Amino acid sequence: MTRARMLGTALAATALLLAACGDEDGATEDTAEGTAEDTAGEAQAPEPAEIRLWLNGGDTPDSMREWLVDAFEEQNPGSTLAIEEQQWEGLVDRLTTSLGSTSETPDVVEVGNTQAPTFTTVGAFSDITDMLPDIGGDDLLPGFVEAGSVDGSTYAVPLYAGSAYVFYRTDLFEASELDVPTTMAEFVEAAVTLKEDNADVENFSGFWLPGQDWRDGAAFLWDAGGDFAVEENGEWVGALSRPESQEGLKLVQKLFTEASGAPRDGNESEPHVPFCAGEVAMMLRPGWVRWSIDNEEIGCPEMMENVGVFALPGSDGTPAPVLLGGSNVAISAASPNQELAKNLLELILSDDFQRQYAENGLTPAKLSLADGLGDDEYAAATVEAVSNAKLTPAAASWAVVEGSRVLEDLFVAIAGGGDVQQLAEAADAAITEQLR
Amino acid sequence: MTVSQRAAPPVRRRPLLPYVLLVPALAVLLAALGYPLFRQAVMSFQEYGLAQQFGQAPEWVGFDNYARLVTDSYLWTVLARSIAFCLTAAATTMALGTALAVLMTAVSRGPRLTLQIALLLAWAMPHLASLTVWQWLFESQYGVVNWLLTGVGFDQFTGHSWLLNPLSFFVVAGIVVVWMSVPFVAFAVYAGLSQVPAELYEAAALDGASGRQRFRMITVPLVKPVLLIVGLLQIIWDLKVFTQIFVLQDAGGITRDTNLIGTYIYRLGLGEGQFGLAAAASWFILLITVGLSLYYVRILIRDEEEL
Amino acid sequence: MTAVATATLPERRTPPRPARSPSRRRRRLLGVLTVVIAAIWAFPVYWMVNSSLLPYNRIRNPDPTFFPLGGTVGAYGRVLEGNFLSSMRISMMVTLITVGAALLFAFLAALALSRFRFRGRKSFVVTVLIIQMIPAEGLFISQFKLLEGWKLLNSVLGLSLLYIAAVVPFTIWMLRGFVAGVPRDLEEAALVDGCSRTQAFFRITLPLLAPGLVASGVYAFLQAWNEFTLALVVMTRPENMTLPLWLRTFTDANRVSDWAGIMAGSVLIAVPVMVFFLLVQHRMASGLVSGAVKG
Repeated sequence: MTRARMLGTALAATALLLAACGDEDGATEDTAEGTAEDTAGEAQAPEPAEIRLWLNGGDTPDSMREWLVDAFEEQNPGSTLAIEEQQWEGLVDRLTTSLGSTSETPDVVEVGNTQAPTFTTVGAFSDITDMLPDIGGDDLLPGFVEAGSVDGSTYAVPLYAGSAYVFYRTDLFEASELDVPTTMAEFVEAAVTLKEDNADVENFSGFWLPGQDWRDGAAFLWDAGGDFAVEENGEWVGALSRPESQEGLKLVQKLFTEASGAPRDGNESEPHVPFCAGEVAMMLRPGWVRWSIDNEEIGCPEMMENVGVFALPGSDGTPAPVLLGGSNVAISAASPNQELAKNLLELILSDDFQRQYAENGLTPAKLSLADGLGDDEYAAATVEAVSNAKLTPAAASWAVVEGSRVLEDLFVAIAGGGDVQQLAEAADAAITEQLR
Repeated sequence: MTVSQRAAPPVRRRPLLPYVLLVPALAVLLAALGYPLFRQAVMSFQEYGLAQQFGQAPEWVGFDNYARLVTDSYLWTVLARSIAFCLTAAATTMALGTALAVLMTAVSRGPRLTLQIALLLAWAMPHLASLTVWQWLFESQYGVVNWLLTGVGFDQFTGHSWLLNPLSFFVVAGIVVVWMSVPFVAFAVYAGLSQVPAELYEAAALDGASGRQRFRMITVPLVKPVLLIVGLLQIIWDLKVFTQIFVLQDAGGITRDTNLIGTYIYRLGLGEGQFGLAAAASWFILLITVGLSLYYVRILIRDEEEL
Repeated sequence: MTAVATATLPERRTPPRPARSPSRRRRRLLGVLTVVIAAIWAFPVYWMVNSSLLPYNRIRNPDPTFFPLGGTVGAYGRVLEGNFLSSMRISMMVTLITVGAALLFAFLAALALSRFRFRGRKSFVVTVLIIQMIPAEGLFISQFKLLEGWKLLNSVLGLSLLYIAAVVPFTIWMLRGFVAGVPRDLEEAALVDGCSRTQAFFRITLPLLAPGLVASGVYAFLQAWNEFTLALVVMTRPENMTLPLWLRTFTDANRVSDWAGIMAGSVLIAVPVMVFFLLVQHRMASGLVSGAVKG
């Protein structure tokens, strides 16, 4: 449940994002900033109040929080902003109860992009459709806006995004005389070769893929043209047993058995532990893993000189479709401070604030700010990975599929060497039932 | 002096007093549980989801929620599994807990206090910490258990997954559950044993009873009420076990093969915000639990008559 | 008569405990066995303390570190910087209210149930038992609404009310067993000796109940002290966190959890429980037989 924050709708952000990144568009930025200031100036000063903002986990660093508090309190004299950090674990329980209470609701909340549809469809968030032009409009990451919209009205907008890319050991590549792979076939070959060349290291992974990790395994499924579920005649049905999906899953099984040394039933948390133990040549992980490796207490900074990154290549040489993750932000419908909450939301989506996400290695909510990620290899990998990233099926009850852990079970069984066709058929039946 | 004397029925002339004594407990139960239970009962007959939580009117669906539960064949598998796990874990806990309690009465103060503190430490350890530590101990690649087993020559445990095989999964889960519940049983039974007045033993000794006889005729009957209650509570709690399973499933194993009632209901209802279904499930489990403990309840009620 | 004479003089140490008197050697062997069991039981606790003194990359490492050599108490300093004291204050208040009220209410009820016969007694007993069986997982949503209506969200009193109700059924059952276990002959004997009913109660019944009260009290204490889900939904403001909520702030399911901090925080949370226990533990065996214990 805790890691189930990726998802929303199947709208690909892809081409749009790439195009926008290429645009050297100073004008857009100016307009956006100008608008934000205008609105702040125009708005009738609402009754001062304390505004509560819930941010989750450690993705938004302290410096950004401080900046936000200062900026908000300066723009809204008399009002204060309290940022209360929430843990992803237990978040849905807390939102379910608190958002319905006028006295105790937070005013503005961050939710995982998988969780957004859960709350938008039930009226927990305020309708902010009319704000869209002021806070970025078409410049906002489309997949996330889609995840936050119902029947043409928008209730939640993107906060930031992120996708996994490949971390690899440059020294091991050199020892095995390998180049950075540019196609999926090369990637798989490299993974298998690396495992063979380092067979003497216990638990060694040419490509680290723990059994439960369907979220990263999805890239191989999608690259082969398959999917978890497809819509047919208005009905969602499991699609894992179809030929394209089968091809992808068989590749996953090959990686499990011939390239990975990760636990067959483990999960993907703490990838830096095997990495620092020298047991991993490649792994597909979100960008923050860099900081845990480069931390004296947590990881192994001395290994950083041998760490390289690249976006997972697809079969055709363009980046493979990896799972798109990130967060949405919304205003609680029960909040008595709607005006102030809107002011805060504008500030959160202002270029000044969003640019800071880019500086911290996350993809900002606006397409036009992606170049703020910088130009080192990490930035390049981030941009490339997000450029072709994909969401899980847009079915209304997809959360049920994730909640039942049928996909974890499927991947663990595949990792254990089970019959892929048979396993997929069983999983399809379960998924079709759950999506009805 | 025999124990059965205590069963002489008392005659009381102030019929109001007992009711007055019950008032505080009743009031607090009614205040904190009355409305929520009523609401849960109502919800179990409704299509009640997140939308209703945020203000939409719920739709009455009669017994649909219940029908959906009962017709789900997987539920019955899970139920059987839960009962098996519950009875095994509860029996083990009771046996170990009682044994430790008796052990405490048989040793001198030093060892006894050492054991009591160890048990209390285990009991007092925040669940976040204890579940994390147990997970680490049984990890397949970095776990201390495998590290030790491999160290003493059992090479087949290198990278062995303790959670992949369902039976092995439940053994690990059982160890964690028993480890957490034994302290309570040991303390309660030990308290029960210490409550037995020494005078009874003396009197019995004067009557010429052997140690074994005294244990059987004095200790057992006097501790029986405590044993019965603690045993019943173990069954109730072990049938509802949730956190331990939930956390272990995240760490490894196959969820479908390891779901117990608690995790199954959670994934079915609460996890997806289907509160009506979850409410029906709660009442359903309650029914099963009552059925399961009927034997116990009978004994307790019969004792009730005697008092 | 002997009984009453002893009972009214609790300080008198009656001779050994009962059932079987093991030979010295056997007793020593059992003592060793007891300590070994204690060590096994406490191993996960030791691992928690050990981990609290180590940096992350030594806790999470293919080679386990069994002794925190070269460790640091840095994690303790780190976790103490945050909301520890205010959370401790909230947890303390909630727990003490819960233990006090639950024991008192349950004791009164247990007395009524095992010392009186009245109409509705049996149904009350069975109802309380069934309340125990209700799966609590789904109730928190309705309980939130309840407290919201009473304006008791984010309040110590509100959370305490839920906790008391959660432990009272159990404590009633538990104490009922203990009250029933007090031989009525003793009370009757005291009455014959000329004690008033109240005197008989305070001199005979209460001391005999002490072990039961302690066992139930420790249970209630731990329930309130370590409860998570209800606290999570009821206490939503950071200044109102209980200790288990505070402990969760060191986890990050999506990134890197501060394991040393979590373990250090857990140690800090366990300390007051131990203090409470050490304060009350001698009562656990102090009915009329505590004197039995040597050393």
